[in-house]
Amino acid sequence: MAEAGGAVKKTDTEGRIWLGLLAVLALLAVIPGAIGNAFHAHVLVLILLYASMAQSWNILGGYCGQISFGHSVFFGIGAYGAGMAMVRYGSAPWLGVLAGALAASAVSVLISWPCFKLRGHYFAIATFAVVEIFGRLFLVWDWIGGALGLDYPIMDDSWTHFLWSSDKTGYYTGAVALFALVFGVVRSIEGRRLGYYMRAVREGQETAESLGVNSTHVKLTAMALSAFMAALCGAFFAQYNYRVDPPMVVSLDMSMKFVLITILGGMGTFWGPLLGAAVLIPLQEYTRTYLASLGAGVDQVIYGLLIIFMMVRQPRGIMGFLAEFGILGGRSDSAGKEAGDASP
Amino acid sequence: MPLLEIRGLTMKFGSLAANRDVSFDVEEGQIVGLIGPNGSGKTTLFNCVSGAYRPTAGRVTFDGTDITGMPMYKIARMGLTRTFQIVRPLSEMTVLENVMVGAYLHCADRARAIETADLCIKLCYLEEWRDRPSGAMTIGNKKRLEVARAMATSPRLILLDESAAGLTSTEVNDMVSLIVKLRDEGKTILMVEHIMEAVMPISDKVVVLSGGAKIAEGSPGEISRNEEVIRAYLGEKFSRRLAEANARRENRDE
Repeated sequence: MAEAGGAVKKTDTEGRIWLGLLAVLALLAVIPGAIGNAFHAHVLVLILLYASMAQSWNILGGYCGQISFGHSVFFGIGAYGAGMAMVRYGSAPWLGVLAGALAASAVSVLISWPCFKLRGHYFAIATFAVVEIFGRLFLVWDWIGGALGLDYPIMDDSWTHFLWSSDKTGYYTGAVALFALVFGVVRSIEGRRLGYYMRAVREGQETAESLGVNSTHVKLTAMALSAFMAALCGAFFAQYNYRVDPPMVVSLDMSMKFVLITILGGMGTFWGPLLGAAVLIPLQEYTRTYLASLGAGVDQVIYGLLIIFMMVRQPRGIMGFLAEFGILGGRSDSAGKEAGDASP
Repeated sequence: MPLLEIRGLTMKFGSLAANRDVSFDVEEGQIVGLIGPNGSGKTTLFNCVSGAYRPTAGRVTFDGTDITGMPMYKIARMGLTRTFQIVRPLSEMTVLENVMVGAYLHCADRARAIETADLCIKLCYLEEWRDRPSGAMTIGNKKRLEVARAMATSPRLILLDESAAGLTSTEVNDMVSLIVKLRDEGKTILMVEHIMEAVMPISDKVVVLSGGAKIAEGSPGEISRNEEVIRAYLGEKFSRRLAEANARRENRDE
């Protein structure tokens, strides 16, 4: 009985998460009509963008357990892919987006090959250095515009160029598509062999190897996927801002966003990145707007306090809190079940 | 041809030789016990055979293929899987998910991986724990999880590293019957064990290490009478006294 019940329960969880994703997408489809205010629409676009960024980081950092502070590099490569296509070649961004994402994957594999020989904190520290190196490189590289960056020419609003100056509807639809793509891919990986192998490597690399898992291969695959997704987000970011320059994209600040949103939401959980972004981004945008009179950096202070509170109270993030109250499954379903079992 | 052949295996850490010129065979379908006092190099030998260490010298052959110094995952793919002395559950994953990682070795299909995993979970009496996080179980369950996970990779040879250590006497009995069951399923087993009650009754052959070198090899009966083995376990002084006592008793009997 336990067996049969378990099997059913398992498939239910699987199906429920897909349904949840569909529900979120349906909700996103009706929201714009309800708001209308351009600033709220802007915040919504940013939530979706940062949720996708955090989810792409979550592939490597959350599921596979390899903490990277280097994701702004891949984000930057993606942004420059789109930017170069638009500014240097005067064409639509799409080929540039693809080239940028592939380049980001290639670069990520090249730099993490040696870095994955380092374990635990040393891998994380090595990725800090990578951001510095690429930040400098982008600044002095004239072909891609050096420190001045790339300013987009004025163009007609269109899907071909993925540019809109009059309203946010196009960007919003694009952000929903990006979100659906990244979250859909992660959900699909989660239930497959790769997803299991990534979590096994996180929980115990040597154990995984003893079961026939080539951990280096798994980590590199996770890295390549993660970088590809981060680059797509970067391309969107460039299109959204009408420009790209090095400090905008390749910086420790930007890298930290990938990490902190995921930690706040819950590392290694499917919904964590969305929840983290849904809390942090409005906080950042609204405090920046409404508390500006208190001086610059108020949003940063609140941001920091929130992270400290989280680390002390519930290191598993918002998803951990929800699991505590038995609302949603936590990391890899198990935490939630445990909490669920405990509550009457 | 034996399934596993160890020839002249030597493993040095700096000037310390943890294994010195160890050679023995494991025949298909056997249970072979590897015993020896603490620090005699049993786990080091396991690490060399399973690919965790590259031996300083010597050769390990599995099913006719030289596997010396091969990475652990490749050896596992060939059908030689190990468990760990200090249990290593993938804590944040459920028991089923743990075992599925093993089951995924030979099939990418999710439904089939679940099927294989369920068989192994049942084999190791873990049904009750199937959907619980593995980190929260008792040590006895974790030890059985190690076995279930290894079994899910469908190995031909399993290396069990002290599967009965730290268990209560009931749990030890369960483990022993489980090991016999594995052998009956056609698996070959090489086990390191401290608990003589666990290893002696079920082993077809026992290999004894002391100070990194092999000092004896034979049937459990031969080993328990072997003077060098007794000396290694009890020390020079006590084994001499034991011999004297035995001699006295024999004199008296005459």
